[in-house]
Amino acid sequence: MAVRANPHLIEELEKYGAQDVVKCYHCGNCSATCPFSGGTYLFPRKSMRYLQMGLESRLRATLEPWLCYYCGECSDQCPREAEPGETMMSMRRWLTSRYDFTGISALFYRSWRAELIAIVVVALLTGIGLTIFGLTYGDLNVYDGEGAFLPAAAIHRFDWAMAIVLVILLGINCVRMWWFTVGGDRGVRVPLREYLKLAFLVPLHFFTQKRFRQCNEKRPWAVHLVLMFSYLTMLILIMFFLHYLQDGPAINWVAHGFGYAAALGLVGTAIYAVHGRIKKTETHYRHSHETDWIFLGLLALVSATGIIQHVLHRTGQPAAANVLYVAHMMGVVPMLVLEVPFSKWSHMAYRPLAMYLSALREKAVAVESAPADKRAAVAQTA
Amino acid sequence: MKDDCRIGFYICNCGTNIAKVVDAEQVCERIAGLPGVACARAYKYMCSNPGQEMITRDIRERGLNRVVVAACSPRMHEPTFRKALEAAGLNPYLLEMANIREQCSWVHDDPRAATAKACDLAHAAVRRVRYHQPLEKVEASYAPATLVLGGGIAGLTVAVELAEASQPVYLVEREGKLGGNVGRADLTAPYLDSARDILAEKIARAEASPKLDILLRSELVELRGFVGNFRATVRTTGGPTRDLAVGAVVVCTGYQEFDATRIERLGYGRFPDVITSFELERRLRMGRLETDDGRIPRYVSIVHCVGSRNPRYHPYCSRVCCMTALKYGHEIKSALPAAMVTDLYVDMLSFGKGGEDFYRRTSELKTMFLMYEKGDPPRVRAAEPGDDCGLLVQVNERLSGEVIDVPADLVVLMVGMEARADGGDVARTVGISQDRQGWFIESHPKLAPVSTATEGVYIAGCCQSPKDIPDSVAQARAAAAMVLAHVAQGKIEVDARFAEIDPDRCSGCRMCNELCPYTAITFDPDERRSSVQSALCKACGTCVAACPSGAITARHFTDKQIFEQIEGVLAWSSSRSS
Amino acid sequence: MEFEPIIVGFLCNWCSYTGADLAGTARIKHRPNLRTIRVMCSGRVDPTFVLKAFAAGADGVLVCGCHPGDCHYIEGNYKTMRRMELLGQLVRAYGIDERRVRLEWVSASEGERFARLVDEMTLELRQLGPCKLRPTVAALANDFDGLSRAVTAQVAASGEVTHG
Repeated sequence: MAVRANPHLIEELEKYGAQDVVKCYHCGNCSATCPFSGGTYLFPRKSMRYLQMGLESRLRATLEPWLCYYCGECSDQCPREAEPGETMMSMRRWLTSRYDFTGISALFYRSWRAELIAIVVVALLTGIGLTIFGLTYGDLNVYDGEGAFLPAAAIHRFDWAMAIVLVILLGINCVRMWWFTVGGDRGVRVPLREYLKLAFLVPLHFFTQKRFRQCNEKRPWAVHLVLMFSYLTMLILIMFFLHYLQDGPAINWVAHGFGYAAALGLVGTAIYAVHGRIKKTETHYRHSHETDWIFLGLLALVSATGIIQHVLHRTGQPAAANVLYVAHMMGVVPMLVLEVPFSKWSHMAYRPLAMYLSALREKAVAVESAPADKRAAVAQTA
Repeated sequence: MKDDCRIGFYICNCGTNIAKVVDAEQVCERIAGLPGVACARAYKYMCSNPGQEMITRDIRERGLNRVVVAACSPRMHEPTFRKALEAAGLNPYLLEMANIREQCSWVHDDPRAATAKACDLAHAAVRRVRYHQPLEKVEASYAPATLVLGGGIAGLTVAVELAEASQPVYLVEREGKLGGNVGRADLTAPYLDSARDILAEKIARAEASPKLDILLRSELVELRGFVGNFRATVRTTGGPTRDLAVGAVVVCTGYQEFDATRIERLGYGRFPDVITSFELERRLRMGRLETDDGRIPRYVSIVHCVGSRNPRYHPYCSRVCCMTALKYGHEIKSALPAAMVTDLYVDMLSFGKGGEDFYRRTSELKTMFLMYEKGDPPRVRAAEPGDDCGLLVQVNERLSGEVIDVPADLVVLMVGMEARADGGDVARTVGISQDRQGWFIESHPKLAPVSTATEGVYIAGCCQSPKDIPDSVAQARAAAAMVLAHVAQGKIEVDARFAEIDPDRCSGCRMCNELCPYTAITFDPDERRSSVQSALCKACGTCVAACPSGAITARHFTDKQIFEQIEGVLAWSSSRSS
Repeated sequence: MEFEPIIVGFLCNWCSYTGADLAGTARIKHRPNLRTIRVMCSGRVDPTFVLKAFAAGADGVLVCGCHPGDCHYIEGNYKTMRRMELLGQLVRAYGIDERRVRLEWVSASEGERFARLVDEMTLELRQLGPCKLRPTVAALANDFDGLSRAVTAQVAASGEVTHG
């Protein structure tokens, strides 16, 4: 069955940040230098070829971009400056938009203005909603306890409601990713047993990012791990232990210890990334898509407002703390509602899932070829 | 046998080309023992200056009067060694060569058998050289006029160069106008300058030159004579038949395009939107790039190697199509910026100056390049109802192993070059040969690329093999330079190898008169004897073999010389010789 | 050890000798049984040369010229063709198997074909074994005039005198 070529595919990918794809003449240096390339997955060269040939359906079914961590060596080695690393990055953006059933992702990646407007709108709605809520049920001068402007319990419920919506959105997208790459591929049949046996790969990769560490350059992995753990710590604190942080005046030092460490990690990595992207210190910082800046901007905004509102609260200025808290939520909500399912943050789900799915595909290949081997063995003995 | 012979024998190692298979020392030893051999030496490169000096020194110091060189083919270095003999004051025809490279060491693996064969060939040469005669070359005049066949870019260049050097030229063109296939093109790769401009300049110079006689709608029907002294009969449709005296003939008859209907799956002739490169050139020149029903094409698919590099049609590369296809990428993109161009190629041969850079620039125009296996051309079919294109081109993509459908509104077939169907007639008329594909054969692919086996007949341009405009022009100017070099001398040395009739043995039967293909033998009715006009004789020896009285001698190929050679090759190896 | 026949080859300078050289430049390996003698045109190959070769101990004779219509000398090879027909009768008359004499067309571009031809003929002659001559022919080995007379007599006997 022939595959239809889409001659416009490169143009499409360019909207997602691809550059100079056409320059590639398939020398293979990129694949030779990449520590992950080989065996079943021959990237970035193979993906570059799919792109040049306009094989949209093949590209949609590939997991390869998710197996790349953009250490940048391929781009450094490329004799034609075809930027394979950046192309893989743009393919991840494109794939994210394919997995997303709402179409919002495609809109955001292709138009930073749309994304910014959406963020502002959600931020304003959040701000207005929370202000009305606070003024109706509490007092601006009370930060915690009875009559608090934004009581921890209410925020907690709000957070959980938001989390459920997010999980549903991201879950649907993950199922689509599975369908595009494994489920819908007729040539691939994975037994249920393997699904269960390999399920541990998702949390394993999520928490350790061990594959990232295999890149020759270790620093990006370390930075990323600090960011990821800081973010995760903060998420757990907020989802389960919000009242320890918000309620006073007694200070729960365990929760606060974790909170401060996480805040430090987030601010530190944000500064590191912004500095890197401005100065272009590393290959993967050389090209910055608008979504990268929006992501970093939100991260910096949320971190800063979070820290300031906390300081104000603990230094006894509840009114100012409440205002900053609203501002903080105006950053948090768009970040979670828009960035996690539709933009850059979604990769926290897709990456570990891709490890799992690629392992499944390899198993499926093994299962398929087994009977043939058996036939060959029978033929030999006969 | 001649007792006063002092033969010098030299065997060349040719680096390791000969010595790695043939035991040169052993050959030397065996030859040294033959009667008349005064010295036998092996050397690493006989054709080098020290090698040649070795021969001249030995001739002077050891009084050699015959030389045998066992080395490469005489077609390669016979002139070199003849010069070495001349340098030492010996007649150059007292040399004989044994071909132990092309016809021995390069084609045999077994050192024992190859050495035995080399010994036999050397032995035969030694036996033969004893009967060599000193021969003197004959001089003939060289007519200054030149006949140029074909008014394409190559022929025009030759004619203009010669005419502007004040030499008379007859430019014979079969069609009603000059320009040939270049006249059918729009722009040229890689600099995108106009083919029309290139031609117009040449044609203007040709028409302005008083020395240049342009004969349109004309054909060469007969060519007699020999180098410097040809008589050409040229017939003009609706005009006079002329008899021209020319010193040289330059053949620039070009090529014809491959008939794309022969590859059925490409759909040429079946779909009006499948067109050849020449048809596209026409549309580009007219500035109307649209489909058959007048739509603007959104997708253009260019198929390379149509008829070329395909074992079923032509195995060779037509050399210009890749660059031309890249040129289309530029031309289509500049005419229709929204159109998507796909190149289906076998190997991208963007050779030559500026070629690779042009390829890179074309790929930056987002041209899609898909590679197919030679011998497996793409298949064109009508698009399905819901498609946004008129045709679909199915290709087995080689780099990915995928079967891909490429959308197309216009499919352009890069039809290859093939030798003209009437090339055989031209070859026979002027006395040159064609290779298996019908291209005219040059004397030596590297050392004599525009000369042919017939002295005074040169080839230039695509009639020799496919080539681009720069190469055709370079060849044309090379041919013009060859002609001018002879014209400047005003005379020509005719090879001393010709036939002679011994009047005492001639019975006057006149059998040879009819046999001679060059009418070089005349009969004197008073004496009742035939005689050979040496300048006309080409030394084929047909008359010699046929003379019932044995009265004709082929100088340098006498019966005795060949008999000695036969005995020489068999003396050591025949099953009955030991 | 297997019998290795010796073939004497008469190759025309313009096509076949060039073709044999081409086999060399293209390194097309073939059997080392051929001993080449260069002539300007296959038309130069006098029937006496062929008889002489057999008399001197050849097991086979290969005459190669340009393809018909492609002769450097316009039509020399046509003459060879007619002459070789006669030669067939001639060698038969002397008790030599006709398969030992071959006339083939090899152009300047047919290195491959030349190599194949040499291999083919070598194998055929191996099967035929060494060429045995009648004493009358063997005696002619060094007598050129005798050979010429023998050829002329045979030509006269066959009634084919026109060469043209």
